[in-house]
Amino acid sequence: MKLSLHTQPDVPLEADVIFPDLLLEKTVSEAAALEIFHGNEKTTLGDFFTITDENNDGTVEVEGDLSKVKLLGSGMSFGRLKIIGNVGAHLGAGMSGGEIIVEGDAGDWVGREISGGRIIIKGDAGHMVGSVVRGSSIGIQGGEIIISGSVKNELGNGMRRGLIAVGGDSGDFTGVNMKAGTIVVLGQLGQRPGAGMVRGTIISTHNAELLPTFTYDTTYRPTVLKSIFIYLRKLGFSLDDEYINGNYQRWSGDSIELNKGEIFLYAE
Amino acid sequence: MSKEPDIVKNAICTFCGCVCDDIELTVDPDGKRITKATNACVLGKSWFLEHKVEDYPVAMINGKEVSFEEAVEEAAQVFVNAKFPAIYGLSDTTCEAQKEAVAIADYLNGNIDTTTSVCHGPTGMAFQGVGESTASLGEIKNRADFVMYWGGNPAEAHPRHFERYAVTAKGMNTPNGKEDRTVAMVDIRPTSSSLIADIFLQIKPGSDFELLWAMRAMVKGKALDNTLEERTGISMEKLENLVERMKNCQFGVIFFGMGLTMTRGRHFNAGALLELATDLNDFTHFVALPTRGHGNVTGADNVVSWQTGFPFGVNFNRGYPRFNPGEFTTSDLLGRGEADALCVIASDPASNFSQKAIEHIKSIPVISLDPKPSVTSQLARVAFTTATYGINVAGTVYRMDNVALKLRPAFKSPFPSDEEVLRAIKHRICELRGIMINKTAAA
Ligand code: SF4
Repeated sequence: MKLSLHTQPDVPLEADVIFPDLLLEKTVSEAAALEIFHGNEKTTLGDFFTITDENNDGTVEVEGDLSKVKLLGSGMSFGRLKIIGNVGAHLGAGMSGGEIIVEGDAGDWVGREISGGRIIIKGDAGHMVGSVVRGSSIGIQGGEIIISGSVKNELGNGMRRGLIAVGGDSGDFTGVNMKAGTIVVLGQLGQRPGAGMVRGTIISTHNAELLPTFTYDTTYRPTVLKSIFIYLRKLGFSLDDEYINGNYQRWSGDSIELNKGEIFLYAE
Repeated sequence: MSKEPDIVKNAICTFCGCVCDDIELTVDPDGKRITKATNACVLGKSWFLEHKVEDYPVAMINGKEVSFEEAVEEAAQVFVNAKFPAIYGLSDTTCEAQKEAVAIADYLNGNIDTTTSVCHGPTGMAFQGVGESTASLGEIKNRADFVMYWGGNPAEAHPRHFERYAVTAKGMNTPNGKEDRTVAMVDIRPTSSSLIADIFLQIKPGSDFELLWAMRAMVKGKALDNTLEERTGISMEKLENLVERMKNCQFGVIFFGMGLTMTRGRHFNAGALLELATDLNDFTHFVALPTRGHGNVTGADNVVSWQTGFPFGVNFNRGYPRFNPGEFTTSDLLGRGEADALCVIASDPASNFSQKAIEHIKSIPVISLDPKPSVTSQLARVAFTTATYGINVAGTVYRMDNVALKLRPAFKSPFPSDEEVLRAIKHRICELRGIMINKTAAA
């Protein structure tokens, strides 16, 4: 099924019906009649999208400038959602399976509180990627979020399990309050990475200033990083051999919490 | 025959979050101005004495004077035709008016947010994230023997905070005022407040979080590396000494201002400070309170909370309240060009928001309620002149420690109150939308 945006929304469009689980069970006309919110107004999918029955391989394709369209792919559990264009907030919120691919940039709260599946963003993403919603303490519980570009603050806030990889830089408080899981940032980490982390792993191929509650352990060549990097290469990241085979400083923290978190920083 | 001036005893100053309730106002016999405001500080005096009843039109549409009813009609039309109406401001008005604003947002399925989102919003988020250990200012006056101010200059922003509540105030267990207290101040530069401090920590700009985190580690006896001084400007020894004093006091309090909440790290800074206060409760009694700026911004948090469940940045688009700072906070949503109508109550976003947000404000219909012309009211489609709360309007306000106080206005204004304007708009919206409400009930 293919959806092309034909009318730009004036205010945010909450299109939480666009996910394969629901759409693949509908005919084109049934899909067009699905209810969505344009601001506070109830409208239908057909009022904004031209829907065609193009591919039958379990993929839903959405195209257009979707930067004001929120909640695409939220709650999905199987299938593929391919997005061509920039997309708004809460992409793939709470998803548990399937794959989302975005050929463009994404807004804030990409993959918040997901428990499975994979989100791939070819461009940049906003704040709170793979994080908690305000007021809860546990973020993503599984799945993978792969971002080629950079992200803003609070990447992986409260993360419990899973993998988040960022090709560019991350903003402040990367992996804040992390419980477990793995975050890889191939660019520069912002300020105060790992603040309040309990367990979990943050890896960066650059140096970073850490909080005074992190302590330096050693510099070595952990095999696990090699496996992670080789996996990332398979996902399409270009990574020089020197990073894959290089030495990394290992820091422990956050001492205010359990001190069982680890941050690896490339050390040549 | 000349009339005796009216005296209003125990009047309330709503200029800052201290909300002093011991002001004695002398009202000129002509009933149009205040001639004396005993007990008020300089800011309070100018608030009362400079208040005049100006000759502004009650209401304007596109800059032209219109009747109150016409303006209400136009405002209601703007609202009902909007798909994403946003209501903002509310920190300088009564709780009764705030309540009407929430009702409008609810009936319209709109968005409601207060100036909290641009001052202590991070504190609200931190409360939700880590909790709050708190006390009333009365308790602090009577018991606190260790008082710390972090990122604020109360001597200039809340001039009577020291004398009425926390430093020189004499209380039950602090009969000698300042002599019975240790006063600590944390700021990035010396200020008029830091002059009175027993301990002053001048920290490097932007290192609040690191310092708070280090203090937490010290309190908990956890590992800390030795780069602290280089990063924050405070030596390990000095900090250890301070932390010891904090652990050994009887009743400690940390007041924190926008120097903490509006610098890089925001809600994490506020959260770190609240957690430090919580950690210290393993040793003694410790509380933390934000020093709120506007007279009734605390009331706005309270009213929006008890009506929607959340303190600010609340959206009703889907018929039920949702809270998400960053998504539903006005400066952010205007910056992304999302709202299609804006109602501003006693605030001036068109002069202090980001350029992108201001551009968007200029492109949508704006309804403004303000006692005085502002940049926002000048570009508003519908502008109401309203009476000033506390001076002309009675009602409820909340002090910065969440204590509710009843206003004692000095004289009547020819202008309607915010509450009256908002209620009239609400009634018209309900008529247009076919919603039945009881017009006689205050709600
Ligand atoms: S301290 Fe604040 S509330 Fe008290 S008189 Fe001064 S301005 Fe008014």
